[in-house]
Amino acid sequence: MALISLMILVPLLGAIIAFLTKTRQQARAVALIASVIPLVISLFLFTYFNRGVTAIQFYEAYPWIQSLGISLSFGIDGVSLPLVLLSTIIIPLTVIFAWGETEQANKFYGLILLELVGVLGVFTSLDFFVFYIFWEVVLIPMYFLISIWGGPRKDYAAIKFFIYTHVASLVMLLAIFTLYFNAFQVSGVLNFDMQYLLKSYSLIGSPLLKDVVFLGLLFGFLVKMPAVPFHTWLPDAHVEAPTAGSVILAALLLKMGGYGLFRVILPTLPFTASTGLLITLMAVIGVVSILYGTFLALAQRDLKKMVAYSSISHMGYVTLGAAALVPLSISGAMFQQFSHGLITGVLFMSCGVIQHSAGTRIIHELGGLAKHMPKLALVMMAGFMASLGLPGMSGFVAEFLVLVNSYFTLPTFVILALFSIVFTAAYHLWAMQRAMFGAYNEKLGHIHDGANYEIFAMGVLVLLVIYFGLNPGSVLNMMTANAEHLDRLLRFAVLRGVIT
Amino acid sequence: MNVILLAPEILLTLLGLLVVLLGLVSKNKNFIGYISAAGLFAALILLLGIKGQGTFFYEALSVDPLSQIFKIIFVVVSLLAVIASISYFKDNRNQDEYHSLILFATVGMMVAASANDLVALFVGFELASMATYVLAGFEKKNPASLEAALKYFLIGSVSSALMLFGMSLVYGLAGSTNIPVIIEVFQANPLMATSSLGVVAMVFLIAGFGFKMALVPFHMWAPDTYEGAPSVVSAMLAAGSKKMGFVAAFKVLVLALVALRMDMQVTFAVLAVITMTYGNIVAISQTSIKRMLAYSSIAQAGYIALAFVVTTQLSIAGGILLALGHALMKGGAFIAVALVGHMVLLDNKNAKNIDHIENFAGLGKRAPITAFSILVFFLALAGIPPSAGFIGKFVLFYSITIEAVSQASGWLLLVVIIAILNSALSIYYYARVIRYMYVLPANGVKIHEPAPYVLALVLAVIGTILIGVYPEPFIRMALDAASVLGVR
Repeated sequence: MALISLMILVPLLGAIIAFLTKTRQQARAVALIASVIPLVISLFLFTYFNRGVTAIQFYEAYPWIQSLGISLSFGIDGVSLPLVLLSTIIIPLTVIFAWGETEQANKFYGLILLELVGVLGVFTSLDFFVFYIFWEVVLIPMYFLISIWGGPRKDYAAIKFFIYTHVASLVMLLAIFTLYFNAFQVSGVLNFDMQYLLKSYSLIGSPLLKDVVFLGLLFGFLVKMPAVPFHTWLPDAHVEAPTAGSVILAALLLKMGGYGLFRVILPTLPFTASTGLLITLMAVIGVVSILYGTFLALAQRDLKKMVAYSSISHMGYVTLGAAALVPLSISGAMFQQFSHGLITGVLFMSCGVIQHSAGTRIIHELGGLAKHMPKLALVMMAGFMASLGLPGMSGFVAEFLVLVNSYFTLPTFVILALFSIVFTAAYHLWAMQRAMFGAYNEKLGHIHDGANYEIFAMGVLVLLVIYFGLNPGSVLNMMTANAEHLDRLLRFAVLRGVIT
Repeated sequence: MNVILLAPEILLTLLGLLVVLLGLVSKNKNFIGYISAAGLFAALILLLGIKGQGTFFYEALSVDPLSQIFKIIFVVVSLLAVIASISYFKDNRNQDEYHSLILFATVGMMVAASANDLVALFVGFELASMATYVLAGFEKKNPASLEAALKYFLIGSVSSALMLFGMSLVYGLAGSTNIPVIIEVFQANPLMATSSLGVVAMVFLIAGFGFKMALVPFHMWAPDTYEGAPSVVSAMLAAGSKKMGFVAAFKVLVLALVALRMDMQVTFAVLAVITMTYGNIVAISQTSIKRMLAYSSIAQAGYIALAFVVTTQLSIAGGILLALGHALMKGGAFIAVALVGHMVLLDNKNAKNIDHIENFAGLGKRAPITAFSILVFFLALAGIPPSAGFIGKFVLFYSITIEAVSQASGWLLLVVIIAILNSALSIYYYARVIRYMYVLPANGVKIHEPAPYVLALVLAVIGTILIGVYPEPFIRMALDAASVLGVR
């Protein structure tokens, strides 16, 4: 059964149909149908996935460019399935949230569907070349989403986003080339298969080249995540993007970078000569992202910009957990990806609703919104609590796992990261208090609550955040299985004295 | 001697003569465009259908995979240009001459692609050049077109003279004009090629071909000519006749380099890097789209010239693939600009600067098919997958990375990195046009896009995407073509 390719083809077809529709009613109906079908498929995959197995499942492959050893091969394992599920949850909810879009609706919904095609392709392809193509395909719809439906500085933001991430992916492409050619030199077989190339990484002769390839791949992923100091495209892109674009950007596109860490970086790590140094580098980048992101968020006046910087801080946990190389810290980092995707969706949607109703997102120009927007206040409060790490919600589980387990290998870094928790709570609560509670700012005039479809989309996300907070095992167990598998690889390397 | 192999050239020559005759006897000449399009299409079918190799006329012409793939490029470009010209030159009373000139230019390029002898090469070059000089100035009431033609003619003649002088020196050294014989003689007497006379000959040849390829510093004519010439002719010049320089360079220079194991890597790397960087940087500041396309085509020539740096089979195949892709993307882009010009003239008969970027504002609403085609061409030119531009660049950059790794050569890797940064840089000016088309408001009503233009655009779009989505047969074709040169 070609379930995965079906899951990718349906939104592609949906996007083409959506572009051709005449009215916005048709366009959004097409978008909803074409995004719910992949959701059904991914729920099916999620149900029938064999959780005890770390190998690739639901594998399918078709020949494509034989002369270069490229084939269209897809499959999922415990690393990718939760992200596939996340993508197929986020996109239909984004479509529902953006149900009232009027400006060039057919293109808008079509582009959202194309984003789904891109991220699903990235998370499921097992051929490095195909992976790269999907990685690039994601950029173009996002460029348009920002540059057509964006805010006042949309041109600058869109082109900055495009060039930043494009340069990063080209560097990654160069590293992939080197892997591919090295494998060819060793075995005489032209093959772009991802697992095969990652295995062949250990056979690269020169230690310098090994490090260069590693850094090239790491750079490609870190820019996407984004990690400090490559994060400057993110606030601009987020602030200018329309809400749907921000949600997709933060909930799905950033996760591609994290996915790369688990899929590509960790499997190559034990074979690098300067592993110790590289781990320290990743840990430093992780902790700096956590702290710097937090402090930047604390300083923001624009609610959306604050949420954008909070994303940088939260994605720092992913880098830190991955660098700690403890099974549970790795699976905690994977869970952080999943959980942050859900939570950040609520936060960006809240910003969108506020912008729409009040006409501004500047925190000190708001005030007492809860009186006029009770429904929004409820879901937004839940989202903020989840984001600051309230126990019982998914964000807590993820960050707790990362911090506790990273302590075994990276104690100093964890202690540093702990400082951010206070400030994270501070900026969330402070923003909430000033924007939503207190006296109503009469200058805003009469404002209305979020539309029902908007509250519905956010409500579903909040429920999922609580569900996965109380019952993290349903996705965490498959992540942990794969993380332990990675760990065995690493231990094996320790035994051989590669890592000291 | 199997004459069937030369059927496409024979067909097009006869057709060119027939078109002139038809022009003499008919009043309404609009049908002539359809005839020459049909003829070019038939030639394309013949090219794709005829299998076999051979040499003709005392080994002056040779039909082999290398010549065939370039002939396909030339015929496809001419076909696109001719289809678009049906609309562009509608009701023009000199259509017959126009179409016969295009056909003769195509034949000239095809002869150059097949040339196995320096004289045949020169004859092909001149036939194509003479015809395109006239084509560039075809709008004789438009001073820009005349200036374009004059500049092109003067510089083209000088470059032809340089090339001819280089050839005469080679003949003096080797005693033959047959390319394989020359290579043999040089191989037997390596000192001859490295003598001062040999070096001078090489320099003249590089300069002569460099003019046609528009490599910096021989590029000065290209922006002015592409801007001033009628857009459909610019399509032909940028996408077609430029590739003639490449096929000649592949035939003469690559063979010579391989045979003599001359170390020209650095020379070509510097030429290529300067060319692509210059083209991209200058393209950023252009407000005329045709000028921007001209500089972008200089940049693309820089990428293709990377094939000379390592001269492996894969790199030449990459160069050929990029040349093929570029023919479709750039040809299509110029035709789209022609359609925009048509739109602007509908608004205002006396409009000036019809290819100014302001005229592209809101094109997505005014002419959706054109705008979408431009979107595809520009993303492909920027090297975004899955497109012909991506596959070409992929194979080309990949082949150089291989060499860099296997020779453990840092500077080759640096060349690739510069090339990659260049292609990131180019996104800026392509995206700017895309923004104008889709983001800015339209300043006019939706127009009817004439069917011939649309057909040409759709064909080019399909080709661009097809090569990107299903590159396997094209890569094989390019590898076969590259194997003719006997490189590693």
